[in-house]
Amino acid sequence: MWKTILRRLLIMIPEVIILSILVFLLAKAMPGDPFTGSINPKADPEQIHHLMKLNGLYDPWYQQYWHWVVHLFHGNLGNSYQYQEPVSRLIAGRAGNTLWLALFTMILTYAMALPMGVFAGRHEGQLPDTVIRVYTYVTYCIPFFVILVIGIWVFGYILGWFPTTGSISPNANGWAQTIGSHLTHILLPGLLGALFGTVNIVQYLRSEVIDAKHSDYVRTAQSKGVPSKDIYRHHIFRNSLLPIAAFAGYSITGLLNGSIFTETVFSYPGMGLLFVNSIIYRDYTVITALVLIYGILNLLGTLLSDIILSLVDPRIRID
Amino acid sequence: MKKNKIVLSTMALLAVIGLAACSKKSSSSNSSGEVGSSINLAEIYHNSKATDQSATKNSTLKIAEPNSAPFQGLTDPSLITNAEDTDVFAPGGNQPGNIDGLFNYDKDFKIVDGGLANQRLNLKDKTATITIRKDGKWSNGMPVTAKDIEYAYEVIGNKNTTSQQYSSDFNAIKGMAAYHAGTAKTIPGITFPDGPTGKVAVIHFDKMSPSMKYIGNTFIWGAVEPYEYIKNVPIAKLAASAQIRKDPLFTGPYKLDKVVEGESTSWSPNKYYYGKTPQIQHITITVVSPNNIDKAIQSGKYDFTSPAGVMRGTDYKELKNLKNYTPVGQPELGYGYFGFNVGQFDTKAGKNVMNPKSKMANKNLRQAMMYALNLDAVNKKFGNGITWRANSLIPPIFAKYWDSSAKGYPYNLSKANKLLDEAGYKKKGKWRVQPNGKPLTIYFGAMTETSVQAAEYQDYLQQWHKVGLNVKLATGKTMEMNSFYNLLQQPKQDKMDIFDANFSLSSEPTPTTLYGQSATFNFSHFVETKNDKLISEMNNSKSWNDTYRTKIFKEWQEYMNEEAYVVPRAFNYTWAPVNHRVKGYDISNGNSEFWSNLSLTSNSLD
Repeated sequence: MWKTILRRLLIMIPEVIILSILVFLLAKAMPGDPFTGSINPKADPEQIHHLMKLNGLYDPWYQQYWHWVVHLFHGNLGNSYQYQEPVSRLIAGRAGNTLWLALFTMILTYAMALPMGVFAGRHEGQLPDTVIRVYTYVTYCIPFFVILVIGIWVFGYILGWFPTTGSISPNANGWAQTIGSHLTHILLPGLLGALFGTVNIVQYLRSEVIDAKHSDYVRTAQSKGVPSKDIYRHHIFRNSLLPIAAFAGYSITGLLNGSIFTETVFSYPGMGLLFVNSIIYRDYTVITALVLIYGILNLLGTLLSDIILSLVDPRIRID
Repeated sequence: MKKNKIVLSTMALLAVIGLAACSKKSSSSNSSGEVGSSINLAEIYHNSKATDQSATKNSTLKIAEPNSAPFQGLTDPSLITNAEDTDVFAPGGNQPGNIDGLFNYDKDFKIVDGGLANQRLNLKDKTATITIRKDGKWSNGMPVTAKDIEYAYEVIGNKNTTSQQYSSDFNAIKGMAAYHAGTAKTIPGITFPDGPTGKVAVIHFDKMSPSMKYIGNTFIWGAVEPYEYIKNVPIAKLAASAQIRKDPLFTGPYKLDKVVEGESTSWSPNKYYYGKTPQIQHITITVVSPNNIDKAIQSGKYDFTSPAGVMRGTDYKELKNLKNYTPVGQPELGYGYFGFNVGQFDTKAGKNVMNPKSKMANKNLRQAMMYALNLDAVNKKFGNGITWRANSLIPPIFAKYWDSSAKGYPYNLSKANKLLDEAGYKKKGKWRVQPNGKPLTIYFGAMTETSVQAAEYQDYLQQWHKVGLNVKLATGKTMEMNSFYNLLQQPKQDKMDIFDANFSLSSEPTPTTLYGQSATFNFSHFVETKNDKLISEMNNSKSWNDTYRTKIFKEWQEYMNEEAYVVPRAFNYTWAPVNHRVKGYDISNGNSEFWSNLSLTSNSLD
């Protein structure tokens, strides 16, 4: 397996190079530049040219790309035009926020979806199954941004139970208050994300459980008199997890993607908002860095999913 | 973000000049009739209740900054490029938009004594002498020195700076051009009679301009840099430094206690402040999404929104009748306009060149297109009183210069038709043709913004169709902001014959960089001797006389309206809802102690 992992990692190198060229060219192909439209009418246009030149924005693309690659190998992702600080520092600041929110949402989602999926599958066609299915369909049908807006309106503004903006209160001091404030700020977006994000896991798990409970090994266990609880816990549940496990790699590496909707509605400074704004403001260095990071994470996610699958199911081998 | 970069940064430029929002009129004289708005917003919220000392001491003044993105976190006026930073770090200056500001100014933006420094201009010697007050200190107790004045020019003019503030007018400072080019290490035109640690800096110019009397002019930078505190940081890396982002110093009434990156700032009184002692002991400013700002105010979470922040007409409609809030505002330092493309920018010669044969070169055609629009009706329907039809290219915030009697282009369909007929644009079937008989299709360039604006654009097209002009959207649809400006900023473009754009202004309104012959922001590319003459006269030796200068400004407005190369479209209010527990809220220009005058009348928001 180690050989395969190494081989896959090596294959990633040309993939990342092609990806980086594509990303770089596409970013440059967008109309405008970091200074388009944002210049002080009182400023000397020469200063704009000066800044463009200083940042190498008039150079041919291949030169710009080469400079970028050289800097990249020195661990330098460049400076953000918009924020005027190193991209690595900017991303690090946002990545933390996104990671906490995504992790919290993911844990809540799995904590709710796994029992629901098994329960619905076990009671197939009965009332609990119907209730769970209706719940998942309803949550699936309503656009998430609508939920966020209603959620923040009801629980944030009308009831006032949760903070409505940012990732931390401006008044939080000391580590205890800081952690507490961070937690209260991710509570509402996290809960909404989890409550309305269970459909895939519940439906996959439910159908796997239904398949599994009619399989031979379950019938064998039942005929041997194994208690139903144990059958579900030790046999059905583990086997039903395969499709969930197949997504686990993506889920883990996707933690950093950020949710544009959540971050916009809650003014939560994370990676999603950073990405959108970097595009609006033609903040090339941030765009290229983020897309490259997302690309690499996706490649790693695929690999991770394969590894997890092989660990969960001994029948699957990736060599 | 709530703006296209220019519109978005409509407020941004205010930051640049270090002067975000200040009006010039007292509330009593600010009548709706004068400015054409259907509402009359006061600049002061008069709270008749007595200040509650305990609330003022113990309660937090909560301010919302409506913005859809995290703020950038730059505290240095030389480096700030957007309005959000100016707003969230505003308590570091004596009034909104004047972070580390050197000067106080009056209702007309004229520099007056009494601020961190006083200024004396000597026309004979061609010098500006800036004297810092003896008790002027930074928020760490360090004295403000003459070097702090000079260092701002070094930061802005440095060859490797990230600042966008360098103006060609700075070249009038002796030796500044060489410093900017990197051929000189110092700026010999700025001297310190008492040494760099003294209180006096003298700036030596090659030429003097009457605009130097006003805050926001492009010859004299209006803010200081804490030289001793930042001198070891290379200027190219200043914007990313902790001294600027995490632990910045200020000269204003409040010092920064904490900044949560991109989200919020917290403030407490700066005991070294030279002016009036601030009353409120704790202030927080938090970014709130513009989508939620109405709900946030309705649920009583904030005392007011940033005085210079962007609150829209739709917000006003939602919030104007709130029981516990009063809208307070003043005309915006900017305007929306229509531009007609009549030429190109000659990059080699560095100037605009007009093409007398261009499609829009006919004055009658331009005027007719403007008379055909019913902007009053459009603003009545969509403006909510916050936006109204502009009558001139100088907005009413410049009370002295604004020509309140200018008519602009009120709706007059018959006049539009008459003008077109006279000029030979005869109808041939559904549409009018050019005087030479060739078909006429006019392309209108507009940015994709809100649904309200989309409706406005449709109205414009319908109105033009009514007079028989075949006007279509350039590129077939509205354009994303970057695409729009990318096209507009090209030296020569023929995709847009008429376009809808916006300018934000500095508090010194000379339009050289917007409409001068060599101005790259002159997107219409019109060039006329009279225009250049008038613009030049705004700052010639006679214009040291205020009456003369005012006369020239009014003449220029009349001339621009008549020629209609660039036509004013809309003026706006900059406004904020103010909670009724706030006392002393006064955004008028003469109030140089905005923050220190604030107090609270209750512990909780009304």
